[in-house]
Amino acid sequence: MPINYYIFTAIALFCIGITGVLTRRNAIIIFMCIEIMLNAVNLLLVAFSKMFHMAYLANPAKAVTSGIDGQLFVFFIMVVAAAEVSVGLAIIVMMYRNTHSVDVNFLNRLKN
Amino acid sequence: MNHQQLMALLPFMVLATASIVIILLIAFRQGHTVIQVTGFLMMCLVIFTMWYVRDVLPQTIMPLLIVDGYGALFTGLIIFCVLVVGLFSYIYFEEREENPREYYILIFLSTLGAAILTISRHFISFFIGLELLSVSLYALIAYLRTRNNAVEAGVKYLLLAALTSAFLLFGMALIYMDAGSMDFSAIAQKLHTAEQSSPLFLLGFSLMMIAVGFKLALVPFHLWAADVYQGAPPPVASFIATVSKIGVFAVLLRFAQELHLQNNHSIMTIISVIAMFSMISGNILALRQQNIKRLLAYSSIAHFGYLLVAFLPGNSAGVEAAAFYLIAYAVTILIAFGVIILLSAKDKDAERLSLYRGLFWEKPFVAIVLAVALLSLAGIPLTAGFIGKFYVLMAGVQQQAWLPVIVLVVTSVIGLYYYLRIISTLFADVSVAIQKEKRLHPFFYAASYAALVVLVLLLLGFGVMPAIIIPGIKQFLLIGN
Repeated sequence: MPINYYIFTAIALFCIGITGVLTRRNAIIIFMCIEIMLNAVNLLLVAFSKMFHMAYLANPAKAVTSGIDGQLFVFFIMVVAAAEVSVGLAIIVMMYRNTHSVDVNFLNRLKN
Repeated sequence: MNHQQLMALLPFMVLATASIVIILLIAFRQGHTVIQVTGFLMMCLVIFTMWYVRDVLPQTIMPLLIVDGYGALFTGLIIFCVLVVGLFSYIYFEEREENPREYYILIFLSTLGAAILTISRHFISFFIGLELLSVSLYALIAYLRTRNNAVEAGVKYLLLAALTSAFLLFGMALIYMDAGSMDFSAIAQKLHTAEQSSPLFLLGFSLMMIAVGFKLALVPFHLWAADVYQGAPPPVASFIATVSKIGVFAVLLRFAQELHLQNNHSIMTIISVIAMFSMISGNILALRQQNIKRLLAYSSIAHFGYLLVAFLPGNSAGVEAAAFYLIAYAVTILIAFGVIILLSAKDKDAERLSLYRGLFWEKPFVAIVLAVALLSLAGIPLTAGFIGKFYVLMAGVQQQAWLPVIVLVVTSVIGLYYYLRIISTLFADVSVAIQKEKRLHPFFYAASYAALVVLVLLLLGFGVMPAIIIPGIKQFLLIGN
């Protein structure tokens, strides 16, 4: 498959994520949309990694890179995303305890 | 990895050990005082190991890290800030409702993230450092979890930081596609062989700038700053203002240096526009603030705008100017937040400007310290802030970046207004007493006052005789170049 398909899919997913973050008001759904964005990046990185790896296999002497680091990066992103979710959900739970809602529109008390 | 590379990483390992030691101390039910003192000693140990391994530098640990003089300088500055923040944290958290002990684990983990940023030379270590820094910060900001303000600030920071880190990753992926590598130096090579920078690289860098701009609170990514500074506990706010920003600025500067971004006209245009907008809106938004924490947030937006003017030249003079400016800024902001912490009452932080009215007649020492810090933020001569601004201006003029330089001068004058407004409040004659008389922990109060005295002396020392530190900075930056 040409690399373009992967790029378009990833951009589409990323844009869905951004739209969700901008339009939804539920903190948990916003968080979910951010995860979609991260996974779009993962898809993109794996696709690029594969592309560079194919180029490397075809002609090892001319290739800039073996294309491994893109895939490695994906593992780091997944681990970090999991850590972020665990801390993030804990904070959203505290928000629920204090305001009895996870609506981000209620986050407007910090002002003068 | 050979012996010398392990040696070079020793300070960072000690830093990582610090949070584990704190976990063990909590497991063995040690008190707040023991943890505080151990944390302080661990940070001193980090500085000692940095001194101990100074001869093996520079070391490149392929492919992720590079420990050179530049990294050591910024790591040293970060550790210094954490020492002071940790000291101030004791009296603040001892009097709050939350158990203060886990706070130290989080703060050392966050410091480790910032320290990794300063030595990163690869997108993976960049990302890991940044996330280590920010994931710990989410919890730190919302640490006083029964307070609405803290949790609100925490959720805001959480959502925005996660969003911007997705943009960072997307930008990294695009640059990876363009250059075929995530190594800063390999990307630089690719850029040099290419005739001109591709639109893909430009787009990728712009997306990365969103995340970096968010962390540094640059306009137009600054909207969180005032709310988070206000909602977070003051020690955490001072941590965000110093450690987190120093770490992110260090990696941005290293990235730009490696890639010779100053030769790239369009990227420099983007950065100078961001710098100008930050200087202008930071100073204008601060004008009418009645809350001193929010005011410091807006002033920090403006200050990082000034710092980007030093970033624009991209030569060694610019790096020196940026390093000096960051040192002066960190010392100043630590003093300002230190005063807020000392004046905070148990259930309400001292953030309303009206609380500071006539403070001089009530507590002359604290008022004078705060006045010196504000004068330094305003850039009045004889303080380090003036010398820092002077170096930044000089770096900008050398590069003939006239427009940012003019904006810097004009907005500094605007800035003078609100700093002097606070100082005149401090010396106003009507005295509304600030309720804070009980001294529960005389030793730590004394230590905090001593820290404030040392910081003020540093501020004035750097301002009167910058010669005592400039050669040191130069020497550090030479290691590894």
